Amino acid sequence: MSNFHPEIELITEYAAGSLPLAQAACVSIHVTHCRRCQRIAGQLTELGASLFAALEPVPVGDNQLNAVLARLDDERPLEYANKKDSASSTPAILQRLMRGDFSDLKWSNISSTLRISYLKTGDPSHEFALYHIRAGGRIPQHTHRGTEMTLILEGGFSDANGSYHKGDFLVRRPGMCTHPPRCNPRTVSAWPYSMRRSGSPTGSSAG
Amino acid sequence: MLTVTNTLDDEDKPLIDADGKRIDEWSECLTLIAQQQDRAAFTRLLRHFAPLMKDVALSGSTLSANHAHELVQEVMLKVWQKASGFDAEKAAASTWIYTIARNCRTDLYRRLQKFDTPLSAEDVSDTPDSDDAFVVLHQKRSRDRIRSLIKELPNDQAQILAKVYMEGKTHSEVSGELDLPLGTVKSRVRLALQKLQLQLER
Repeated sequence: MSNFHPEIELITEYAAGSLPLAQAACVSIHVTHCRRCQRIAGQLTELGASLFAALEPVPVGDNQLNAVLARLDDERPLEYANKKDSASSTPAILQRLMRGDFSDLKWSNISSTLRISYLKTGDPSHEFALYHIRAGGRIPQHTHRGTEMTLILEGGFSDANGSYHKGDFLVRRPGMCTHPPRCNPRTVSAWPYSMRRSGSPTGSSAG
Repeated sequence: MLTVTNTLDDEDKPLIDADGKRIDEWSECLTLIAQQQDRAAFTRLLRHFAPLMKDVALSGSTLSANHAHELVQEVMLKVWQKASGFDAEKAAASTWIYTIARNCRTDLYRRLQKFDTPLSAEDVSDTPDSDDAFVVLHQKRSRDRIRSLIKELPNDQAQILAKVYMEGKTHSEVSGELDLPLGTVKSRVRLALQKLQLQLER
């Protein structure tokens, strides 16, 4: 069970479908694995449904309704097999984005302890990347240029503000803090990371 | 934990049959569509939801009339295609249709912005309905509570929720559009959520 969660405003934007894709993907992976956030996300979706149900109907002409009915024959009903979660512990979204396994990815070595693999989400305004910190490794002190979301997939790390473990979700805003993250001894950490682009596409807070 | 108070009038309560199934009109329609591809049931549903969907398609968005039509049609056809994925014991029909509408809207916006992405809005939306009976009941009670309390929200709070949910805008986009500080937008959302008794459990 994680100890660090997205704020409720963020889960609201997520449930409303208004979050940029890369951020939504990051929140989604946390929510999938956090029952507490899953419950509130479900309730916030109910809020959307209530707003939807209370909308002022806008008249739709018969020709438009008929256009929908005329297309029913072309749109075959979908069959739903009971979708069971795959045995893999890698979140489904990442599996989709990676098209393979962590080891198949192209990693860039940033330092002797840190390597990064960028994944393409198609979101033009955010980077989305997996970070891997070697067990016991340190990342130099750095500042944050844009809003960054971090989700810990495996292992953990700590910084001046706390100690973070698998499933924890962190947000760092520009100029909010500088901290030297340190990977916990004998653990390996990889996490998706989304950051608003500002200038250089490969620039990262990892320094 | 949330405090749950059911303040609904009797007439708003969905009917539950002997098997505990919800038998309100829209879930009945969806079930008929799933089991028999019932066009009459689909037509009833279409006449009710297409006008709501059209409101979503037109409200505060930059969609052209053609794209708005496309969105309404796409949502309704998805409802037809996916009806067998609806489980009346776990979800309300209107919530299920809302999530389809929300995802189609997001996907259309992204298509129009020429996103090249392997992810659909459905891939990153919330997880499927729970199998846990307690969670299902809890969810149903939240729904009833929200639907009754939402009428009491002050206008300034309801307006922002409408922009976030129905127009798909982030808090900072709403802040720019209404010329309000981001902090004001966030605090109105927070106040609205408190009034609806939506809070993270500690």
